[in-house]
Amino acid sequence: MIWLGFDIVGKAVFSCILIGVLTGLMGVFVVRMRLSAIGYSMSHGAFAGAALGVATSINPLVSAMLFASFVALIIGPVADKAKLHPDTITSILFPLNMALAFIFLTLTPEIGLTSQVANVLWGSIISITNNDLVYMTTICAFTLSVIYLVWKELFAIMYNRKLAEADGINTRIFIYFIILLSGIVTTLSLKLVGGLLVYALLFNPASTALQFLEDMRKVIIVSPIIGVTTNLLGLVASLYLDIPVGSSIVLVSTIVFALSVLVSPKRRRRMME
Amino acid sequence: MVCIPKMLTIYRFKEAEEMINGKEIIRLENVSTVYEGENRAALRDISLSIKENELVYIIGPNASGKTTLLETINGLLNPFKGSIFVSGLNIKKHGRYLRTEIGYVPQDFMVEPGEPYLAHDVVVMGRYGKMGVLNKPSKRDREKAHNTMKMLEIDELSNRPMGKLSGGQQQKVMIARALAKEPRILLMDEPFSNLDPESKRKIPELITEIHEKNNLTTIIVTHETHRMIKSCTRALVLDNGRIIADEIPEKSLQTLETYS
Repeated sequence: MIWLGFDIVGKAVFSCILIGVLTGLMGVFVVRMRLSAIGYSMSHGAFAGAALGVATSINPLVSAMLFASFVALIIGPVADKAKLHPDTITSILFPLNMALAFIFLTLTPEIGLTSQVANVLWGSIISITNNDLVYMTTICAFTLSVIYLVWKELFAIMYNRKLAEADGINTRIFIYFIILLSGIVTTLSLKLVGGLLVYALLFNPASTALQFLEDMRKVIIVSPIIGVTTNLLGLVASLYLDIPVGSSIVLVSTIVFALSVLVSPKRRRRMME
Repeated sequence: MVCIPKMLTIYRFKEAEEMINGKEIIRLENVSTVYEGENRAALRDISLSIKENELVYIIGPNASGKTTLLETINGLLNPFKGSIFVSGLNIKKHGRYLRTEIGYVPQDFMVEPGEPYLAHDVVVMGRYGKMGVLNKPSKRDREKAHNTMKMLEIDELSNRPMGKLSGGQQQKVMIARALAKEPRILLMDEPFSNLDPESKRKIPELITEIHEKNNLTTIIVTHETHRMIKSCTRALVLDNGRIIADEIPEKSLQTLETYS
């Protein structure tokens, strides 16, 4: 494999690019479909999954992804059954995931939070392996292809779900799919910034792009570019300032968002009005 | 892969049409619904038959069930009792396909000021269901959307974001979206409420023209009874979820006045 010779920085740069594309892309759907709770519920679902993986001697990243995917899969159907917004169900599952994580951790008291489980919560860029990069590349290619293929349907659902349904689109299946994909992308991002900071990766690039653009087709292209740029700037800043990578990326990403709010042409137009 | 189920549905669709001699296009049999999350009835035991090419008004006081009736006809709401047939097919089973043939103008269409969608894209969306999954909008789809916008005199709004349009302009975009679909049935919920006086005169005339030219079965929910389209042949009066009158428009209006 081409990246066998990669050093830590090389892997970090590569993962910053892949995660920037993925979270920047999925963030647009999460913001537009108002799935704000998905970030923290998925990351804590992944945390519970990682704890279960350690307790049962399974690769924590694999168990984290499986657990988060399971949580993501049940959100949509439960929300439809309960006639509640998926965000409400996500918020209910969040403490449940934490409770399960603590129970799983008690199964391996000798390892506890000092283990690789903690990497899921805090992030650890140096622990990114070649296998992780393979997962990220695969999911990135899959996500880009599928979104290209069903963009028309997602475009209409993001505008107005009820109207999309009235036009004959099966909105339910696409929303479940976006929730599932968001769960997988969140889990993949955990090693970069950790579960406590991953929301910034999902929300900031999309929200920044929406400050400037009035055409959703441009937003979906610019948001991943912002994601990649802020991730790389954050990585560079962390190397120069000797601060944790995750925190550095979140700081840069938040500063970029704050600046975009200040210089947004939308804001200027509103002030003129 | 995508085409086979669609072909089967079209076959069933044609077969069903023959069964009902191609005349009755909508039939409701003892339909009752409740408001979501409540036990209160929204529609009570409604039976109704609408023929092809009819233009029907639905009038009645607030919360009488007018919007619920429209959304039940196009299968967006499921009744807890009774059946709905559109072109002879049960909407519960074939709703997704049938909705590609039904144009719908909703009552609540206003978007937030920052909405990042261009008006032309929103009109093209009306054709998405017809295109089928995985297919991209063709040149013809875009042209159809453009021509419909031109017909409604909103083609200059094509590249403007929806959030920047006035309520009346947004309503015209919604009408264009429904018409661009080239539907067989058009359901409109208070479609003229936000229009300026000139458009309130012009758009109903246009709907009349399209209705007559395309044999379009049209159902319009409205409060503005003084603006009824001339070619309207029938008006239903709804109150408390029941049809209390189903007559020619003039008589229905009298019933509505007497009742209220």
